[in-house]
Amino acid sequence: MKLYSLALAVLLALVWSNTSMAQTSAKAHVKPDDWRAYKSRFIDTSGRVIDDANGKISHSEGQGYGLLLAYLANSKADFDLIWSFTRTEFLLRDDGLAVWKWDPNSKPHVTDSNNASDGDILIAYALVLAGSGWDRKDFTATAKTMVRAIGKTNVIEAQKQLLLLPGVTGFSATEREDGPVINLSYWIFEAFPKFAALDQATDWNRLGKDGLSLIDVARAGPRSLPADWISARTVFKPAKGFPPEFGYNALRIPLYMMRAGVTDRAQLEPLRHGMSPDGTNVAIVDIPSGTATETLTDPGYTIIPALVDCVLDKKKLPESVTSFRPTLYYPSTLHLLSLSFVYGQHPECL
Amino acid sequence: MKKSTLLILPTIAAFAGLVAVQLDYVPALATTNGSVRLAMLESSDPPPDAQADDSYIVAQSGRAPKTQAPKPAAPAPDAATAPKVDETALRYFARQGDKRRLEAEIARLRALYPGWTPPADPTSVMPQADTALDAMWKLYAAGKLPELRKAIQERQTSEPGWKPPVDMLQLVELAESREQLINASDLKQYDTVIRIGSSHNSLLTCSDVDVLWRVAEAFAKTDRVARAKDAYGYVLDNCTKPEERLATVQKALPLLSRADLDALLAREKTNTDGSKEFDSIRNDLARKAVADAGADPKLMVPPADVSRVEKLANDIVEPSDPLILGWYYLRRNDPVSAEKWFRLSHDRENAASSSQGLALAMIAQSRPAEAEATIYEWRDSSDGAKAVYMAAVANLLAQDPPVEIAPAILQRMVPEVMKAKDANAAQQLGWYAYLLNQFETASGWFSTALLWKPDDEPSSYGLVLTHEQLGDTAGVADIQRRWAGKSDRIARLGELRNTRQRGLVPSPERFGTDTSTANQTVTQPTTNPGAPATALPQDSSVVEANPLSTTLAPTLADRVAETIARTRAIQSQNQTEPVRSAPEPRRTRPPQQTMVNTGQRASRGCTTTIDPQTLSPDGALTRGWCLMDMNRPLEAAAAFERGLLSRSEAAKSDAAYGQSLAYLRAGLADKAAVAASKARQKQSRQIELDTALLASRATDSFTAGRYNEALLALDQRARIAPERNDLMVLRGYAYMNLNRLADAQRVFKAVAATGSKDGLRGMATIRAIRNKEY
Repeated sequence: MKLYSLALAVLLALVWSNTSMAQTSAKAHVKPDDWRAYKSRFIDTSGRVIDDANGKISHSEGQGYGLLLAYLANSKADFDLIWSFTRTEFLLRDDGLAVWKWDPNSKPHVTDSNNASDGDILIAYALVLAGSGWDRKDFTATAKTMVRAIGKTNVIEAQKQLLLLPGVTGFSATEREDGPVINLSYWIFEAFPKFAALDQATDWNRLGKDGLSLIDVARAGPRSLPADWISARTVFKPAKGFPPEFGYNALRIPLYMMRAGVTDRAQLEPLRHGMSPDGTNVAIVDIPSGTATETLTDPGYTIIPALVDCVLDKKKLPESVTSFRPTLYYPSTLHLLSLSFVYGQHPECL
Repeated sequence: MKKSTLLILPTIAAFAGLVAVQLDYVPALATTNGSVRLAMLESSDPPPDAQADDSYIVAQSGRAPKTQAPKPAAPAPDAATAPKVDETALRYFARQGDKRRLEAEIARLRALYPGWTPPADPTSVMPQADTALDAMWKLYAAGKLPELRKAIQERQTSEPGWKPPVDMLQLVELAESREQLINASDLKQYDTVIRIGSSHNSLLTCSDVDVLWRVAEAFAKTDRVARAKDAYGYVLDNCTKPEERLATVQKALPLLSRADLDALLAREKTNTDGSKEFDSIRNDLARKAVADAGADPKLMVPPADVSRVEKLANDIVEPSDPLILGWYYLRRNDPVSAEKWFRLSHDRENAASSSQGLALAMIAQSRPAEAEATIYEWRDSSDGAKAVYMAAVANLLAQDPPVEIAPAILQRMVPEVMKAKDANAAQQLGWYAYLLNQFETASGWFSTALLWKPDDEPSSYGLVLTHEQLGDTAGVADIQRRWAGKSDRIARLGELRNTRQRGLVPSPERFGTDTSTANQTVTQPTTNPGAPATALPQDSSVVEANPLSTTLAPTLADRVAETIARTRAIQSQNQTEPVRSAPEPRRTRPPQQTMVNTGQRASRGCTTTIDPQTLSPDGALTRGWCLMDMNRPLEAAAAFERGLLSRSEAAKSDAAYGQSLAYLRAGLADKAAVAASKARQKQSRQIELDTALLASRATDSFTAGRYNEALLALDQRARIAPERNDLMVLRGYAYMNLNRLADAQRVFKAVAATGSKDGLRGMATIRAIRNKEY
């Protein structure tokens, strides 16, 4: 078993120079005060993670983030709370995956049975961590079932690449003229080595490796950035029906890369440069023209380019991003994920 | 007797599940590792305590292990050799007076520990001093499962060494699984429902039949009907609450076949008053069967169902059951029975539906006046009611033999026809006026009908006749031009006019009727102050386009003439409309009865047998056409023979044409050919005759087995006219008989491509011949 992990680590060293995420275990990287502030704002008493910028709905992604942050905050009780809701309200699909959306204003709350693979990956990943970190075999067993199902229903091979479909329904080559359509921010790279240890039916390490190379391939336009939604049918290009932009989805890609241990300047620098025209704030960029259609100043967003500076050049984080104050669900989530990474891996940047 | 019991888990798996539950939190997915599945086990013993003698209903009976449960791997600290039954939950619910949860918990514990007996008085023990634990049970009872999870975990963190009661963990896991199952069921994720049900047989108890229903539904929806049936049967065999038993069968109604439902119904109990507990269901089933058959005449209904509904209809003073029967009988061409039931329903409640049915039954029995009176007040209640009303109107006007229509009725019909823009009813009003010699009015109605249905041939025919009657030759010619090649009778009208006296077509005096009766009842609302103008079309644009200067008045005998027109229409177009005696109920527009006249009454012009030689040539010509109208072609041919002696070239040509047609109709092609040559014909007529002659010759040759000659005739004909489908089929068989299979195949294929069954049949024959050859 140990030998196996070692071999894996050697293999991955080529891509991930740092696999220390694997040893996070139960060591708290989300500070108790930050977690308290986060959950009091975005998690209700029933364990539902609320997207307050989006009609107060919940989604599998949010539940997955909630579980992951609860684990990183070393809060077993909150993890159990969120998991109980996630299991009973989201884990309904026949294939064992989570439905993607839960709406407090509709009855029943779930009306669309489709999944979102990033939500499934986040949930399964949090379960894997909690299963091993807290010795909870039930979590590990459920994670294993989910990982198998994700691999079976959402991972495909096309153009000699392993691709992650964003959902079981609606994105494949048979369902769309420009399908398969992918979203590179659904690759949660740090989860794949863990998945590989649980499930051999899917080549999870290859999925991660292919994903990293796709990010380079997909960079386009004057600012050389990947679009949120990409058609992978022939030449990669922005998918039909979506704005051709580097948007709220894609801006988390560098964060996911760094959390997974990517330190390669050639990969990180273009993203850091492209996403932050003024060097500080994050831009939503129209890919074809390269113009910024929106400038994001929330510390949850601006911490991401600052984090690249930290990883590549040991630059200290600006004070504006080092303390956490909840704003909206999505940037606040990214903020805590970023901070937990800094506390755990780069305390020197504080 | 083998009694099947719903066994969800094999016994061993049940223990494995139990141990796992005690060991840890076991979410549903973690336990469904393939070895666990829903199993229907046959048990030779009846469940030992299925009919629990105490007040606690135990649904798990028969599934409980027969041996002692193995010692939990992670026992409570005080566990000795025998498994300790954790009664904390039970006592909590008892103290709270939560009877439903108390029953469920007793059922669950009994299933897990067969040797266990519930405490005589679960409330008797001292209340626990552990208020924190009580708070947790309170969360459980409130269904706040995530909060309970959190509370357990928080206490374990703050009080190291503290362990929650084992059954609390089991219960919260079970309750979460139940939530998950119900949510999955709402989302139609039936595999998930079955997966959870399979791994949590403690959920499948009479204390929570909703879960059993959902599992049964999941089986039915995933093509496992037998298991669905077993699940419903399990409830009926084990659960005792009358309303839940009834609801169980109701849940099964849309999912199971009638045979499976009957098997479930057979498990019914007899009520204390001697009635059967599922009588109401049987009634509903019978009602549904009869009601379905009321919409689909091909459905067979067990006689027992019909008599059950009939009994219900008589016993229960409600309009709905007789209504179902009315539609049922109407659909089965039994308007007499239909009327009886519709009337019963109608007497109980004068409603749109029963009025519609009643009216249709009356129309089907040729009583349109009553139908009109019945449906009139409901005419605007729905499209269906309006259609029935219009059918009543059209049938009333077109009645055979005709009856007088009271002016008041006529006057209320007219605005309805205008409002509905019903071309058929307008056409009937046209004929009605026509037969009263009110040609202006008739012309207005026919024009109105054509405004609403521009391609309506019968209305055009009516209009051309009225133009003729009014001496409007330009109008006649105009219509004929528009219908050239599309309506034989319209085309021929002009030719007939050349040879026949004006007014030959319907005119009362020609038939020797007493016109005084007509005069008696004529009303002219527009000029008569006593009659309101409502008899006129309401739509002003239509009024302008079709000024109705007079209105309609009924007579009896004149109506006869209309049937001539209709008969002629049918004969000359060689198209027959089926007589439909039972119009469709609801939705679709009820077909109008069409009267096919046998020609007897219409025959006065030439019924008597007269030697044509005694007639003038022109008179004989007229008689010839009259006989043709009556489909007596041989006599017509004789009359035309006399007509050929006319000095007028036009009349001679007409006579030759008529005689040729007469012989063709009689199937005497050779004679027809001779007749056609007796006088010069206009080119159009010549082509018409030639194509008919060649078709006839082809048919004759084929019948006589002279296939080459048949093909020759067909080829000749094909040069002057497009080949009809029936002749193409003839050609195909001619080829086939000459063993020119490829040619035959090609022809049949072309015919089949038009959707013709004959073409398909021909292709099949060719295939069969070829298969035999190889």
